[in-house]
Amino acid sequence: MDYARPIMWNVPHWAEITLYVMIPLVLAGFAAGLAWRVRKWFLGQAEPQVESVVQGLRAGVRPRRLASWVKTAMFQSRLSPDGFSLVMHLAIFWGMAVLALGTALATVDQDFTNLPLDFQVLRGNFYRLFELALDAFGIVLIIGLGMAAYRRYLVRPNRLQASKGNVSLWDGFPFLTVLLLIVISGFAAEGLRIAEGFSIEKEVAAAGNLEAKVRLVDRMGLRERFHIGPERQDVQLSRIARGGPVFPAAAWAPVGYALAEVFAALPIGAIRAGHQVVWWLHALLAFGLIVSIPFTKAFHLVSSPVNMLLRNPAPPGRLPVAIESGVRTVRDLTWSQLLQVDACTWCGKCQEVCPAHDSGFPLSPRDLVQAVAARLLRTPAKTNGDAASLHDSRIRPEELWSCYACGACENNCPVFVQHPRLIADLRRHLVDQGQVDEGLQDALMNFQRYGNSFGQSPRKRPDWAKPLDFKLKDARKEEVEYLWFVGDYASYDQRAQEVTRAIARVFHHLGVDVGVLFEKEQNAGNDVRRVGEEGLFSLLREKNSKELAAARFRKLLTTDPHTYNTLKNEYQFGARAGGETGAAAAAIPVLHYTELLDELLRQGGLRFKNPLGYAVTYHDPCYLGRFNGVYDPPRRVLRAMGVRIVELPRHGRNSFCCGAGGGRIWMKDTPNVETRPAETRIKEVLALPGVECLVIACPKDLVMFQDAVKTVGAEGRLRVADLGELVHEALAALLETPDEGGVPAIAAP
Amino acid sequence: MNIAVVVRQVPDLIEPLEIAPCGTAIDLDAASFILNESDDHALEQALLLKEAGGGTVTVVALDSGDVDNTLYTAAAKGADALIKISQQDHAPRSPRTAAARYAEAVKPLGADLVLVGVQAHDELDGALPPFLAAAMGLPYVGVIRGVRAATETGAVIVCKEFPGAVMAQVRVKLPAILGILGADQPPRYVPVSRIRAAMKSAQLSECEAAAPQREPLVSVVRLVPPAPAARAEMLSGSEAEVAARIADILSAKGLVK
Repeated sequence: MDYARPIMWNVPHWAEITLYVMIPLVLAGFAAGLAWRVRKWFLGQAEPQVESVVQGLRAGVRPRRLASWVKTAMFQSRLSPDGFSLVMHLAIFWGMAVLALGTALATVDQDFTNLPLDFQVLRGNFYRLFELALDAFGIVLIIGLGMAAYRRYLVRPNRLQASKGNVSLWDGFPFLTVLLLIVISGFAAEGLRIAEGFSIEKEVAAAGNLEAKVRLVDRMGLRERFHIGPERQDVQLSRIARGGPVFPAAAWAPVGYALAEVFAALPIGAIRAGHQVVWWLHALLAFGLIVSIPFTKAFHLVSSPVNMLLRNPAPPGRLPVAIESGVRTVRDLTWSQLLQVDACTWCGKCQEVCPAHDSGFPLSPRDLVQAVAARLLRTPAKTNGDAASLHDSRIRPEELWSCYACGACENNCPVFVQHPRLIADLRRHLVDQGQVDEGLQDALMNFQRYGNSFGQSPRKRPDWAKPLDFKLKDARKEEVEYLWFVGDYASYDQRAQEVTRAIARVFHHLGVDVGVLFEKEQNAGNDVRRVGEEGLFSLLREKNSKELAAARFRKLLTTDPHTYNTLKNEYQFGARAGGETGAAAAAIPVLHYTELLDELLRQGGLRFKNPLGYAVTYHDPCYLGRFNGVYDPPRRVLRAMGVRIVELPRHGRNSFCCGAGGGRIWMKDTPNVETRPAETRIKEVLALPGVECLVIACPKDLVMFQDAVKTVGAEGRLRVADLGELVHEALAALLETPDEGGVPAIAAP
Repeated sequence: MNIAVVVRQVPDLIEPLEIAPCGTAIDLDAASFILNESDDHALEQALLLKEAGGGTVTVVALDSGDVDNTLYTAAAKGADALIKISQQDHAPRSPRTAAARYAEAVKPLGADLVLVGVQAHDELDGALPPFLAAAMGLPYVGVIRGVRAATETGAVIVCKEFPGAVMAQVRVKLPAILGILGADQPPRYVPVSRIRAAMKSAQLSECEAAAPQREPLVSVVRLVPPAPAARAEMLSGSEAEVAARIADILSAKGLVK
């Protein structure tokens, strides 16, 4: 093993000294920039339940979280729904990472082992492998950059283009170009170095006998060009004098080797001068890149992985609230949220799946996050007193009110930005200032007065049950196994009432021991909270918690995914009713009726004798699926009924919102709306072959989709039915004849 | 400008009203109460005037229904002082009594402007504001849809509505009483957290009504619940049958020949 990595080959002494002077300056520049950015995160408030960064870090390095971090940060797994993006990003990241690690290893090799010990790590087979790996990953990086350029400048997706603000297809251009120039100059320097080796070898070969060759090698001053100890120099020189290669591992750097064969045609002076120029170019570009990281898009190299490590591990269905009166300036956001906006990579994947954006509402989650990020960038880390309001021309109320709080953006974000939370925070400030949409104001006043959005008397809440031919148990008076928290739409909306009754009959038939709170139930507050009326949410939660505390039951049951979400994630049952911290929340299980039916199927309490036999598709409600991961129970129940499920293109966690969430159901549509989300969804369903029934499991879905079927002119072609109605239908023979106001007999298509 | 706003509690019509056993009054024990809508507009107009030109807003209410909540909500919206008039001998039996009791509380405030809803849904003839004006010896203008300060001090310009939606701008010298139909903007939303904060921080001063009950000059002989309207008839059958039936109905009513 007589060869190792050549050190500072063809680099003049002055250049070497200059380089060593520059390195600490570059690192100091990077550190200063980094500190400038990082200090801004501490302008924010404490993150609920993650009191400090240290605590967040401690939670982040637990084995399971760490494994998830390696997967999501190092291998960018959240890009996996988009194969092209994943491959492109992995290629750029790992190309760059391996080249950077290689450079770091070369520095160790040179400064930590060669200089003090006259010993090199990069020698022999390990060095060969090193050469091969760096060349290979250089190519990988070029492929990744090529893919990025292809997508940005040929495909030009909307999500990468600006509607306003600072997002443009050219955002990544400087960063991507510098990366490309670094890798190209690296290859060129390598090629020129090897080319000089070829030239030396040729000269030595022409020198005649061994003695002449030794003299020639001496005359050429080759000894000084190997920056290693005299004994190791002897080994190198004797190999070269005996006709051996100057760089024995050159063939292991195939790209450099191939380039060298091209460069070899140049005169030796040009090769040596060219090498020095390219070597400097490579170094300066790399230094420039390092120093610029904190000030460019490249900062996501730092901020995104840090955000992924320190993120709040609260369940997605729980909306963290740091300041009840909402967010006016960047200082009202938490440190974790400030980190998030800095972690944003401007990729626009949030915008791509946003139902509001899709329908032409003035909302882009990407632009919103970018607007906050831009404001943070302009806010000095030492802000005494007041920072400027975020509510300006870049963040307008109509934009904030457009959100359906469906969570698609957050779910699709590669770096865990919580857009709906940011929107709820900003909405709370508008509500605090009394700036609410007219329809929303009516709904909120109704909640304040009557505990429901319909403006109906609380006494009418249990009226849906009047047509039933059996009495519902009163959970306030007798002990029941399941307390059925019915919810507003299921109680008051006439169409949803039919479904509620069908489900009640199914429960009755199956002998499920359920009771309700009658007029004492109020809206659970899920959407009130997401609208930004935190005080009203707290009030509703207090009232409901008080009633629940007085009732005797073992489990909570609901048909409404919105109610389900807040009861499950945001209520606390036990000693301190009203709060949401602590483990007591787990003491009372909260079930969606599809989970209960699934459970009954498993236990044998529910059997279907006559298969329904037709094809349906199932729409995953946002607050059942995406926020709470209930995907399989409804599908298992459907399959047990003997229906064939044809999945929608967007299903499971990628389900597309019906347009009712986030309080939108109470607000007026803006005039320039293109296709409403529910209409888009119905068109998707109509495109499925053989599907004549859209099955839903949310009372609001029923209302939204039945309307949309009419507005897209698909009446008679598509039936929208709740899963509970199908169960009722499948058990019809066993159930008594529905009485007046009950489920009408619907023939299977 | 110092403004007093008179607000009233009225029965909430989402619950069916019931006639008391005496047969001449609504059973108020069975009713739930809300703030009278045009009084809410009067309050909003007062707050808008204060925001535009400074001053104070004092809200005055008789103790009935859910009055504390109404007053604290007004404080949360920006009212400066709250006065609750307690009544040993129960609710006034006539608008003249109510006017006398409000006048007792409002007079000492020395307000430049007194705003009150022009009517209430339990008093559609709008008797209270003129009685109040009489009791206080102030001029009164009613059916107002917006108020702004005049260029000279001591006057306001009001937008008064006449039949046929004819609007007139009227200069009113202060002090005066205005009967508000609608404010310049719809009443604002105030979040629950602010109402709760007001309940803790706002001072609610109480005063005792001294004016004696005066019997109404007119008295109710009998209250009758509305007769249920005839039920709708749903037509069924083929399109031709339904069309023929519609034609029959229209000609039977003499609407077509």
